[in-house]
Amino acid sequence: MSFKTASEGYVRYQGLGNWAFVLHRLTGLGVILFLIIHVLDTAAVYFSPALYADAVSLYRSPVFGLGEILLVLSVIYHGLNGLRIIYFDMVNPNMWTIEVNRKSVIWTWVITLVLWLPAAVVMGSHILEHLGG
Amino acid sequence: MQVTLKILRYNPETDAQPHYERYTLDAEPTDRILDVLEKIKGHEDGTLTFRRSCAHGVCGSCAMRIDGRNRLACKTLLQTLDTSKEITVEPILGLPRVKDLVVDMTTFFDNYKKVLPYFINDEPLPEDGRERLQSPEERERFDDTTKCILCAACTTACPTFWADNSYVGPSAIVNAHRFIFDSRDRAAADRLKILAGESGVFRCRTAFNCTDACPREIKITKAIAEVKRAIITGRLD
Repeated sequence: MSFKTASEGYVRYQGLGNWAFVLHRLTGLGVILFLIIHVLDTAAVYFSPALYADAVSLYRSPVFGLGEILLVLSVIYHGLNGLRIIYFDMVNPNMWTIEVNRKSVIWTWVITLVLWLPAAVVMGSHILEHLGG
Repeated sequence: MQVTLKILRYNPETDAQPHYERYTLDAEPTDRILDVLEKIKGHEDGTLTFRRSCAHGVCGSCAMRIDGRNRLACKTLLQTLDTSKEITVEPILGLPRVKDLVVDMTTFFDNYKKVLPYFINDEPLPEDGRERLQSPEERERFDDTTKCILCAACTTACPTFWADNSYVGPSAIVNAHRFIFDSRDRAAADRLKILAGESGVFRCRTAFNCTDACPREIKITKAIAEVKRAIITGRLD
């Protein structure tokens, strides 16, 4: 109906399926935002090398470091949840029950965390080293 | 026991915006939300407006958001909810509010009509002039999707429909499925062409809200997947 209606539903409608969907959308938007910034700053190499150098030094700040950790989370979740949906859609529609869907959502979150946590620890420790140095 | 219902109220003649009102009253764990709404309307506030008809889960009039999920008020017992907290009751989302819990269903039924939800077969009748027969297996193929009562709980639980109500929505696809996979019907190709379009099945994002919301326990997302596969493969097996 509208952005307002969709936002209300995204935030207030209850259920694992809805939360998995909303997270998929948020992480998708996060990844596309990164890609846009990445393409723009890399393009700066061509027309303004000084601007590119500024951008790269800005990216070394801890705020962007935290952003990168979230970016890794977004890519892992969006990718895994996308594969989950493709599997349900294209491979095995007979699995389409509420119970199986709930379990698959929880497993997707578990696998996402297992894959993301080591990366987050390594990246986080780099940020701390950088701050200490 | 005592329960408190927090109901989203809206009177277009006096209210600029919807607002919540709380009603606390005695009820039994076996009472349904519809019973509680009737008590409020009968004894506390006669202006409370909601749709109801059969009160037995068949007519599909009383779909509403109960504690954030689409449910039929007549099929939701208090004992299945957390009555230690307020129970939130709101109109279904994505259709214009008319008053309190009543929404304008016109868009929903317009979408329903788009998928030709009726039997189409212009071939001559069998020689005995009686019914067109089909096997129990052929009947079983679309049995699940015959159960829809058009309450709109699924369609108004759908994130795609919230954002754009030109999407036909889960309910219309369920009702298309009921005829697409009927061996006696001859318009499957027409319906699949409609559903392959911009407002059709491929706007489904597999959030599963519809299946969770269906009071008839129709496997809606499965039905949508079967229509998607029929479009992709061109087969109705």
